[in-house]
Formats: sequence, structure tokens, C-alpha cells
Amino acid sequence: MDSKIRFQAAPAWKCVEKKYLSPSIGFSSLLFGLVFLALCSSPVLAQSEVPVISGSFGFLYSKDDGQTALQPILTPVVLVPLGSHFLVEASAELQGYVAPSSLHGPYTGQFFPTIEYIQLDYVVNSHLTIVAGRFLTPFNIYNERLGPIWIHNFQDGPLIYPIGTRTTGSSDGGMVRGDLVSRPGWQLNYTAFFSALSNGTYFGSGRAFGTRGGVFFPRQRLEVGMSFQRFLQDERSNSYGAYVSWQPATTSLDIKGEYAHSPQGEGYWAEAAYRLSGAGWLGSGMKNLQPLFRVQQFFRLAPGTNDFLPTANTQRVDFGLNYYLPHEVRLNASYGRQFSSTGNSNNWTVDVTYRFLTPLPFWPKGAP
Amino acid sequence: MKAQRAISFFLTLLAFSLTGVMQSTARPQQTAPAKVDESVEGEKRFAANCGRCHQPPQDISPREVKAVLRHMRVRAMLSAEDERLILKFLAP
Repeated sequence: MDSKIRFQAAPAWKCVEKKYLSPSIGFSSLLFGLVFLALCSSPVLAQSEVPVISGSFGFLYSKDDGQTALQPILTPVVLVPLGSHFLVEASAELQGYVAPSSLHGPYTGQFFPTIEYIQLDYVVNSHLTIVAGRFLTPFNIYNERLGPIWIHNFQDGPLIYPIGTRTTGSSDGGMVRGDLVSRPGWQLNYTAFFSALSNGTYFGSGRAFGTRGGVFFPRQRLEVGMSFQRFLQDERSNSYGAYVSWQPATTSLDIKGEYAHSPQGEGYWAEAAYRLSGAGWLGSGMKNLQPLFRVQQFFRLAPGTNDFLPTANTQRVDFGLNYYLPHEVRLNASYGRQFSSTGNSNNWTVDVTYRFLTPLPFWPKGAP
Repeated sequence: MKAQRAISFFLTLLAFSLTGVMQSTARPQQTAPAKVDESVEGEKRFAANCGRCHQPPQDISPREVKAVLRHMRVRAMLSAEDERLILKFLAP
């Protein structure tokens, strides 16, 4: 599929720099060896924690600038705790993309399997966790925290998402993270990582290092932070960003935003969501509704190839609505209007997501 | 110029958020009870940490909670104390 079409139709985190993709089993062999070693050296069969399989299923309908697309997505997550300090976690994304082959042509489908992460975590203490393997690139907060389809409010990723997440949104290497300082009123957290260039079909990543630091005020439920990343291949560029996440304790308001800069472009997004359960005067029937609003701008600073950013200055505003059903089912609908010198467009999205969680079958002491 | 506008907007959002912090911090602190119910404290920790990104799980058994909490301890950088108290809340 042409990368431009895919960027318009699919969420931005699906973008892959295909020039790095070629079959390779070296890294995956090493990773599976690492996991196997950890399994063998841990009293996993004697522990009380059971491995679980979690994740989500979603079905998306979108009409982006007149182009209709249907996208079923399954994202299983496997969690295997090993003893009291280790965890193996892995997630894949299996996405279908069904769209008309031409304006009035028949629908044709494509399938995109990706491995988002497969990592071994060693939780040393509250101040240090060591991660090895393939992990989500920690740049700002969207990729790591808001990526799952059952969490993010708008199925189209932010315009600035490709900044700091090249090449695939995942990194192959090592990472350390934790709380540097923890006080009752505030916590200082950090993340630092290094990623190697990988050409594996399902393990593509760029050579880069980066860090992120944030201050979290738990009483106010406010977090602010900054990110930096040095991309160590091609043009060897720096990217940096900042983020804010605020959920006032006295209301059901949720505010999030990010700013990101790269030599090719910069921009921001800010999003607000308000769960009507906080407005008792509306009645119980409305408590599961959550109106959404997002505004974003992107400014192209220099031409770029394969950077997956908009080719021109772009502004976009989105309105949406979440409705939370029982048993982890969520309905979502949104409308977005995009303004750009390359053409204005409307974007409609309707989706249903289901989050599941169950003990891992076929595992000792796993599923009942 | 456009870059300055983008930065100004973001800083305004940040300042707005910090204003809320100042106001909240200025409120008189309530005296903590002698013995805090750990489940209640766990619910607060859940709301402050996990609730920032997603709703509480509706159907989760005590057998599954520990693996999920280990996962979230790494992802959300929860402390050991957060993990313990949230476990009390989700699997009392």
C-alpha cells in the first residue's frame, strides 16, 4: 500500500518506514533466547500470579476526505510474571484494511501484522526498572500511554505523532525507567533508552537514544514533562517535546496535550474530554457519555522524505463522543475538519472497541 | 512566528494547569484519620495514576490482578506502595 494513502486512512502509529524492512531473525532469536532463559531461571510454576492475555478488539469505519475504509483490529497483550521482580510482556497488532480499490471499484482487503513490543522487565525497586527487548518508544505520552485503541479517544493519531517515534513507534534495545524522587506531594519520573537499527520484518526500529522526564503531582492529578531524542541514522537529527496531562480531582474533566519539534516540522495537540458522570443533574442515563474535543496544528519547517508528517502546514479540529457500555465495550464517533494548503477535508469515524482480559490458556495454573 | 504561536499556546495550557495546582495546594489539608482504610487509599491511588488514561476495569479477578499490576508498574511507573494499595482496591 502506498504510504501516503495509508497515513491518511490508518492511525499514524501504523506508519512504517518500509525501507528498513527486510527479513532478519538475528534480533528475534536473541530476544526469544532471553525470554527462554528468564523462564528457565525463575520459579514461575510456583508463583501465585497467573499469566494473563489481555488486549482489545476494535472495528473502525472511517470516511477520510471521501475515502471509505473498514478496519478490524486485534491487539493481544500477553503478560507473564516471573517471580516477584520479572515480567515478560508482549503485544502484537493485527490490523485489516478494507477499502475500495478505486472510486466505484470493489472493496479489497489487506492485512498488517506488527509486533508492538516483546520485552523483559526487571523491576529492581521503585526507582529503577530495567527493560530489554522491543518496547514502545518513550517520547512524550501518546505512544506509550494512549496507544491502545480502547484508550485513545480519537482513532486518528495526532499529526505530530511521527516526531520522536521513528521508525515504527517501537525500539529494539534497552531502557531504564522509574521514579527518581517520590514525595507525597510530587514525584519525579524518568525514562532513558537506546535503540539499535533493526531490519527485521516485524522488529523494525531506528538507531536512536532518548530520554523523558516528568513531574507528577498526585493530589492535583497533574503531570508535566519533557522528551528528547537523538536519531542516530540518516540526517542524525534531534527531536524534543513536552507534554501535560491533567485530570482535576473535583471534576470528570480530562485534559491532555503534547508539543513536539523536529527539523522537519513542529506542532501541538490539545484534547479535552468530560465524562458526564460528573454532572449528576443530567440524570443517570447520561453518565456513560463523554464528549470529546481536540485541536491540533502542525507547521512544516523543512521538506522531509519518509517522515510521515503532513507535507504542508495543517490545522485540524475534532469533535467526538464516547459511550461506555457494560463489559468493557466502548462506542465512539467523531468528526474532524482538516485545513491545509494541500486541500481541506472532512473525516468521519465510527468505531466499537472491546477490551478483554483472561488468564492465559494452556499454562500451568493459568486458565481455569 | 508560527513556532512561537505553537509554543505560546502550549505554555498557556501549561500555565492554566499550574493555576489549578496552586489553587488546589492552597486549600487547607484535611487531617488524616488515625487508621487509613487501605482499600480506600488504593482507590485514590488508582484514580490518581491509572485513571489518568483509562477507566477502571469492570471484570477483573484477583488471579489476574497481579500480572496486570506488574505490567502497569512498569508502564505507569507505579511505586511498590502504589502497587500494593491498588491491589487492595482491585482485589480486596
